Amino acid sequence: MSILPFLDWLGSSALASAMNGPEWAFPVVESFHFIGFALLIGTIALVDLRLLGGGMRRQSPAELAQSLKRWTWTGLALMLTTGPAMFSADPRVYYFNPSFRFKITCLLLAILYNFTIHRWAVKPETAPILGKLAAIVSLALWTTVLAAGRFIAFV
Amino acid sequence: MSLLSICESIQNTDLSVAIREGALYYPIIGGVHLLAIALFGGMLLAVDLRLLGWGMSSYPVSDVVGQLRAWKRFGFVVVVASGALLAWAEPLKLYHSKSFWIKMTLMLLVAVHALAFRQSVYANPAKLDEAPSMPATAKLAAALSLALWVGLVLSGRLIAFDA
Repeated sequence: MSILPFLDWLGSSALASAMNGPEWAFPVVESFHFIGFALLIGTIALVDLRLLGGGMRRQSPAELAQSLKRWTWTGLALMLTTGPAMFSADPRVYYFNPSFRFKITCLLLAILYNFTIHRWAVKPETAPILGKLAAIVSLALWTTVLAAGRFIAFV
Repeated sequence: MSLLSICESIQNTDLSVAIREGALYYPIIGGVHLLAIALFGGMLLAVDLRLLGWGMSSYPVSDVVGQLRAWKRFGFVVVVASGALLAWAEPLKLYHSKSFWIKMTLMLLVAVHALAFRQSVYANPAKLDEAPSMPATAKLAAALSLALWVGLVLSGRLIAFDA
């Protein structure tokens, strides 16, 4: 089955008309997308910087990740609601945009990584060098997601 | 010399033309701007949420404020520098953009906020640890800081959509 009928259905949905309605709708949703990634990536980066030894040194990485978990999830929830809303404004264009496809691939990898390897990396029994390596990969993955997202508008 | 003519001269500088017309400069600087928003915003959110008691409440305020200060400052410098380059690329458009002037007003308020709460909150976090409960001034500083930051993101994003 082709995905195109779904894209066309989404593009003519009530959500799409709301997003394409008032001029301010898209930028306002996009702003909350930004706030979402500041929460999501900001809290993950805090843990990564801790793994690399650059801040919050008196708490263990596991404690830090635990106490920020609520805000990481809040950020992820914001991203996964505002993102699809923006997508609905022009589904076919995004679907065929190479930067969008690259971003979504990296995003899925980053989310998967965050809930598997990253979760393991903060554990006290993990060797510090592996924790550092995991932190660098995490920062690189999220940086790529953000940069690819920015390029959607330019390719 | 009027502000408009200053904008015109900036618009004609080599740097402005290069960023505007090069295929990659603008999106790359924009990408750096976004990364810095995530870094600066993330650090700011962590500090403000701690002051409000909404996150990391088991950690001393002095730890959160003190240890994140360097990253917050680094993020701020990068976000302002990349933002300045983006602005340098299209000063005439910005001159006529209402959202841009709202954003600059908010930036001014950020400076006022920093000066107003420096002594009572950000420079002496150890004092906040000793207080029996979080002083109202600190909570006010955090709430205003969050509101200003959300306002900056919104007005910044709206610039691209101004006619």
